Amino acid sequence: MSDDHGSVSGGTPHPGDHAHGGPDHVPHVTPLPIYFKTFGALVFLTLLTIGVSRVNLGHATNLAIAIIIATTKAATVAAMFMHLYADHRFHTAIFASSLVFLLVFVSFTMFDTEFRGKFGAIDGTRVTNIQDPFNKIPPPAPSASAAPAAGAAEKK
Amino acid sequence: MATTEPEALSPDFHVGHHWDKADTQFDAGRMGIWIFLVTEILFFGGLFCAFFIFQSWYFDSFVEAHNQLDWRLGGLNTIVLITSSLTMALAVRAAQTNDRKRTIQMLAITIACAAAFLVIKYTEYHHKIEEGLLPGANFTAVGFHSANPKVFFSIYFMMTGIHGLHVVIGMGLIMWILLRAAKGEFSSRYYAPVEGVGLYWHLVDLVWIYLFPLLYLVG
Amino acid sequence: MSRAITAEDASKLPGYGGGQKKNYLNAEKGVVSWLTTVDHKRIGIMYLFSTITMFIIAGCLALTLRLELLHPAQQSHFLTAMQYNQVFTLHGAMMVFLFIIPGIPGGLFNFILPLMIGAKDVAFPKLNLMSLYLYWIGAAFTISAILTTGLDTGWTFYVPYSSTVSPTAVIAVTFGVFILGFSSILTGLNFIVTIHKLRAPGITFYRLPLVLWSTYATSLIQVLATPVLAITLLLLIFERAFHIGIFDPRLGGDPVLYQHFFWFYSHPAVYIMILPGMGIISDLIAVHCHRRIFGYKAIAFSSVAIAMVGFLVWGHHMFTSGQSRLAATIFSFITFIVAVPSGIKVFNWTSTMWGGSISFRTPMLYAMSFLFLFTIGGLTGLFLGMLGLDLHMQDTYFVVAHFHYVMVGGTVIAFVGGMHHWWPKITGRLYNEKIGSLACIIVFVGFNMTFFTQFFLGSRGMPRRYYTYLDQFQPLHAFSTYGALVLGFGLFLALGNLLASLRAGGERAPKNPWGGLTLEWEAESPPITENFKRTPVVTHGPYDFPSTGPAHH
Repeated sequence: MSDDHGSVSGGTPHPGDHAHGGPDHVPHVTPLPIYFKTFGALVFLTLLTIGVSRVNLGHATNLAIAIIIATTKAATVAAMFMHLYADHRFHTAIFASSLVFLLVFVSFTMFDTEFRGKFGAIDGTRVTNIQDPFNKIPPPAPSASAAPAAGAAEKK
Repeated sequence: MATTEPEALSPDFHVGHHWDKADTQFDAGRMGIWIFLVTEILFFGGLFCAFFIFQSWYFDSFVEAHNQLDWRLGGLNTIVLITSSLTMALAVRAAQTNDRKRTIQMLAITIACAAAFLVIKYTEYHHKIEEGLLPGANFTAVGFHSANPKVFFSIYFMMTGIHGLHVVIGMGLIMWILLRAAKGEFSSRYYAPVEGVGLYWHLVDLVWIYLFPLLYLVG
Repeated sequence: MSRAITAEDASKLPGYGGGQKKNYLNAEKGVVSWLTTVDHKRIGIMYLFSTITMFIIAGCLALTLRLELLHPAQQSHFLTAMQYNQVFTLHGAMMVFLFIIPGIPGGLFNFILPLMIGAKDVAFPKLNLMSLYLYWIGAAFTISAILTTGLDTGWTFYVPYSSTVSPTAVIAVTFGVFILGFSSILTGLNFIVTIHKLRAPGITFYRLPLVLWSTYATSLIQVLATPVLAITLLLLIFERAFHIGIFDPRLGGDPVLYQHFFWFYSHPAVYIMILPGMGIISDLIAVHCHRRIFGYKAIAFSSVAIAMVGFLVWGHHMFTSGQSRLAATIFSFITFIVAVPSGIKVFNWTSTMWGGSISFRTPMLYAMSFLFLFTIGGLTGLFLGMLGLDLHMQDTYFVVAHFHYVMVGGTVIAFVGGMHHWWPKITGRLYNEKIGSLACIIVFVGFNMTFFTQFFLGSRGMPRRYYTYLDQFQPLHAFSTYGALVLGFGLFLALGNLLASLRAGGERAPKNPWGGLTLEWEAESPPITENFKRTPVVTHGPYDFPSTGPAHH
């Protein structure tokens, strides 16, 4: 397949360097071999991720590797096919920011779902008497202690 | 390779009345598309969040359930989508270099790849429906040792279903661009819609790049 | 031969606002020209018209509620319990999704944003129109509920009631809100690109009016948070229709997950509601005090900080939902942090007033009301952010009072003040100042009567969304209801005053009645369709008033 090296704009990518003295837009064209090499890399990474998943390295490791490979593929698609490598940095920032917020969403929600009931044990060992939370009232004599304790427990 | 020159166009060709020059309009259009892609990422992100939470809660169920998925079909779909991304990028490039014929060819192949994806997806769904591997209360399959395989299939159908819907929408958009390209509307001076639809299509691919390993492979 | 200059001659002079001159209002005639316009000013007007209509309807629903709550006795009920649930649900859903979220951005900001940056229009005019159409379609779905089986789930649509038991039009309304979400996203997207790409020469980011910093922050939230609402509602619809089980514990799901998804949007959404109001107040105070704003950069960055940190606190709506102690602690802690930028703003606004040459005109009165009411609202939010206190106050009238202080005392007050401030620019008319001021005072008094009382109701244990109550709460409820009537009257008076200025012989407005320094005041009143004949060049900051006090930066 012939390759014209993006001759319309000249070789080196310059983000935002489009104004060539006229009112028209001049495109930045990626050379063909780069597109095909990108494709090859993506296919390779796909086969890699399938291959690694057949090997049992433990759940956490398998998951981590799968996500790392997927992220590499995603970054490749974003940089090359979606042209971010030659684009304004701001567009990459836009894209990256969405992932940051997604991360916040998932992690904060999992602070809840992963830790439900986890601190119940602490509550169980430190029963608070709501009528005397700071222990200002001296404890009653031992003979009478059974009734008030039961009463306080009941009130809780 | 043919390089057709567009007919003599006025300097204000396709530049809106509120823009000072074509470059600004073009940059603005691209920024707008990227912001839209952010919304799509957050949209799918909700489903990924649900996936991670339920996978953590019901790991054994998820492992047992995901073995019902055919990783070969999933892998094939991945290759199909990556190919369609390549052809989409090549279509944009062809538009940038005034190669109208190549633009139309590449867009057509992209649509064909999308159609192939949907056919493979349909095959998978058909199998699931036959086996009763359906979301939530509709789950009628038997023979599972784990407690909650139906949750996996809820997530599976929601994620692949919404993704599939985006593929269908993408096909429609690409067809629209193809028709406009056939009418000669795009050139090196104006190819923004092609690039815009291309960016959307790449996002559809991006989502699948995460869907495939998480749903089909992990466990 | 000389003759006296008549009014007709005067109306043809350049710089004379309104009158017979060509402007965006009379440029094209006919309903179709309005419905298919891409002019941001016309789209803004249509948004304002729609959202204010929704406000009036939802406001009447609120008055219905308050009248029902006047007396707890069985014989004084005129609504059934089910109807009561529907009234407060629709009041909430309409106010949130059909008025407050689209109102200021889609209505007021659509109009003034391009004028303030010297642009001819927003970045994507057709998308702007699409946003309006989506608003109308979403509104139609939501309103349809009123005409069919209604909605009784509360504006928050909590599962499991909304996904299983509720016999009302849950799917119709949530689908309507789903569509409204897209309208919101498109507006936000448009504004972000507009602010980046269409600023006139000389307008650097630090010369933007603070309204636009707030607009930018609001748009960031709209773009990042609304998609999560979209997926939440979609999941809810599928849950209700097909029982997919994501939120149903009987099928392995988690109802609290719904709350996480919902509040991940809805908390940032409240910042969509308040940030535009804060932006308006910055401009109102600077212009009507003829004073450079104190701490421009602090206010600008605090807007963005509120937007960003606001994404980290949604769990404070869920302290009593059964979420983990770890999550509750983290959310409570960050809630305290998110109050800081708002506090910075209040201090800066107050400092701007100090030493300024204050004109106590209607917009300024609304701005001062805002300072008082928003501060109370913000502080009571901190009360609710405390875990121990929230345990008692959650789902009581304390919460109701808090959010009405920030949303009505904050956003609505700022919105009405902003409408008065920019009314001359939008319509080319001047409203009656005396009636305007009077309406503001009536609104202020009525509002406090209604909602300050509710802090007491809540802290004494009156639950929210309850159709009847214990006798001991009756005096407070009655007082609140009378306050609501006063508030409603005040708001109608304000609206009537504004509309009266449009009558045939009404007073015309000059280009710059308040002496503002930002670009919109250099356009005609009302502006021509292209906003400016030539793209302006800006050489000064937005609030570079000759200082009347010690210099501030």
